[in-house]
Amino acid sequence: MDTVKIDKMALRMRKNILDVSLSCKRSVHMGGGLSLVEILATLYGAVLKYDLHNPYWDERDRFILSKGHGVLGYFSALHQVGFIDKDTFFSFQTNGSDLIAHPVMNLPLGIESSNGSLGHGLSLGIGIAMASRKKKTGNKTYVLLGDGECNEGSVWEAIMAAAHYKLSDLVAIVDFNRFQSDGESKTVIDSGKFLEKWQSFGWEAEEVDGHDVKQLYEALTTKKTQDLPKVIIAHTVKGKGVSFMESNNDWHHNRLTQASYNNAMDELEAL
Amino acid sequence: MIEISEKLSRQWSRIGSRATFGQAILMAAESFPDLMVLSGDLGKSSGLDRFKNSYPDKFVNIGIAEQNMIGVAAGLAKEGYVVFATSFAPFITMRAAEQIRMNLGYMKLNVKAVSIGSGVSMTFLGNSHFGIEDAAVMRSIPNITVVSPADCAEIVKTVFAAAAHDGPMYIRLTGEVGNPIVYREDYDFQIGKAITLLKGDDLTIVANGTMVHEALETAKILKERGIDATVLNMHTLKPLDTDALDKAIANSNMIVSLEEHSIIGGLGSAIAEYTSKFSNSPPLLSLGLPDSFLDSGEYRYLLDKYGLVAEKIAEKIIELNNQIKEMK
Amino acid sequence: MTNKEKYSAVFIDNFSVEESILNEKFVYQSVPDWDSVGHMGLIAGLEEAFDIMMEMDDIIDFSSYTEGIKILSKYDVVI
Repeated sequence: MDTVKIDKMALRMRKNILDVSLSCKRSVHMGGGLSLVEILATLYGAVLKYDLHNPYWDERDRFILSKGHGVLGYFSALHQVGFIDKDTFFSFQTNGSDLIAHPVMNLPLGIESSNGSLGHGLSLGIGIAMASRKKKTGNKTYVLLGDGECNEGSVWEAIMAAAHYKLSDLVAIVDFNRFQSDGESKTVIDSGKFLEKWQSFGWEAEEVDGHDVKQLYEALTTKKTQDLPKVIIAHTVKGKGVSFMESNNDWHHNRLTQASYNNAMDELEAL
Repeated sequence: MIEISEKLSRQWSRIGSRATFGQAILMAAESFPDLMVLSGDLGKSSGLDRFKNSYPDKFVNIGIAEQNMIGVAAGLAKEGYVVFATSFAPFITMRAAEQIRMNLGYMKLNVKAVSIGSGVSMTFLGNSHFGIEDAAVMRSIPNITVVSPADCAEIVKTVFAAAAHDGPMYIRLTGEVGNPIVYREDYDFQIGKAITLLKGDDLTIVANGTMVHEALETAKILKERGIDATVLNMHTLKPLDTDALDKAIANSNMIVSLEEHSIIGGLGSAIAEYTSKFSNSPPLLSLGLPDSFLDSGEYRYLLDKYGLVAEKIAEKIIELNNQIKEMK
Repeated sequence: MTNKEKYSAVFIDNFSVEESILNEKFVYQSVPDWDSVGHMGLIAGLEEAFDIMMEMDDIIDFSSYTEGIKILSKYDVVI
């Protein structure tokens, strides 16, 4: 895996995020879109099996953005690898666009599912993983969740079931950026020993630096156990990449003005 | 109780439905000492920051967990608190529908479930966040009073009335920042009593939520075309004000129902359920969102696309009115 | 009333503060009343006082008493 290539892709994704946020002239989920850039760059740049010319390919790996409001990172990755062209990408959040604040299922654009309401994606992933096993297609299913999202009881129903059914080709990634809409997750609902919770529910669990593409790649492509699903707790920074946005929850959902865009872009260009 | 004035109306309209709700609940807390507010990690988005800071012991953020939120709200209500549980429409009315059914419907616990930003006011957040079927679901559960305020001033009235009302409720907030104003001065608001905003001899437009203002604009267009419309603000969807409907049945050539909700199960359906009992009932034109998932876009773009703007509503009314005239 | 007096009056009216603290240090969220709700009230008050309609970007960038003066100059309001 070429770490430099993926890091460069991540940088281009961050610039795309700033550009499209400015051009749509609306509020966007900036913080939570920036925190998952490296995760998506690694997945789409180096891990996922897919065919741009055949988005319906039955053996493709499936990626579900259960943390639906992470679209800025998701759409910019799909744009970088060629699923979403420039015109479509910049139609984001304009009247009638296919690209809105949450994914709307559209396989030709590479969007596997419709999301937005939290706590649904892991269950969908389980169904897909079960089907893959029955059909023996050999593909893997990856589901990206938010840490706040794990407040939802439905997530834990899914966690229990995935372990019970020994879905070893199912990988969950948690974008653990420590914040949710109303503030620091610890102060809203403290998830306590999060990694241990997944382990106690029967999953293989690993934690990584969510902005280190090498660590992400290794975690996504290796397993210690044969018959358990795996979760990767990716420790990330909400708003990563722009100093005045990092861990600043004002940027959970906010509008990027020209002035803020200029300051943010200056930082990215300096890299 | 707060008296509505032109100045307050304009201020509230400016800050929008959610922030007005936050202001209203903050004011209500002074009059209702046992008031409590729960949110599913949407306190900031629901205009509840000031309430949270002023009354930290009356606010509970239950995290992104709506089913748990309703159960917790019910437990508090059972022990004597007056509880407002808030979230976005689909999460509170559908994710937590069964909890509402058991705790609010079946046990009649004194919880007011409030949906912030129903209808299509969530714009680019899309269908996962739109309130399209919420009133239908809530209306179908016994014992729940369902109210949809017409403007920001009515949101304030509704919050105070709800806090005083002994029994479970569902309050459906529509509109956004810059919500058009219906009420500029004080008026008598009572749960279950529709308000006649305009009197006209030809037909009756029954509306709630933001569609009340749209109904008034529609009436202006109809007047220019020689049609006189009565406009009824049916803020309470359940129990329906059947006395007001009896007058419409007796005096109108047509009843128009107007809502920022699916045509299935909401205001139009409620009216049809009542008027279909009477053989002399005039035709009912039921206007609302279609039975399909919707596009995303700016608020007025969506209302226009789905025909819920005065010009398009008037056209449909005139078309049906002409057909009725031809048949006579 | 001068423009400056009109400008300061909106702040005093909305946030119940003394004139003496109205300077470059008086910023968004520096007093409890200047939260997101108070901000919309401030903007509405300024729009009414100077008969202008502010653009969204300017409403968001309006982060302090002195920043506001710069922003209003775009609307030909000289303070």
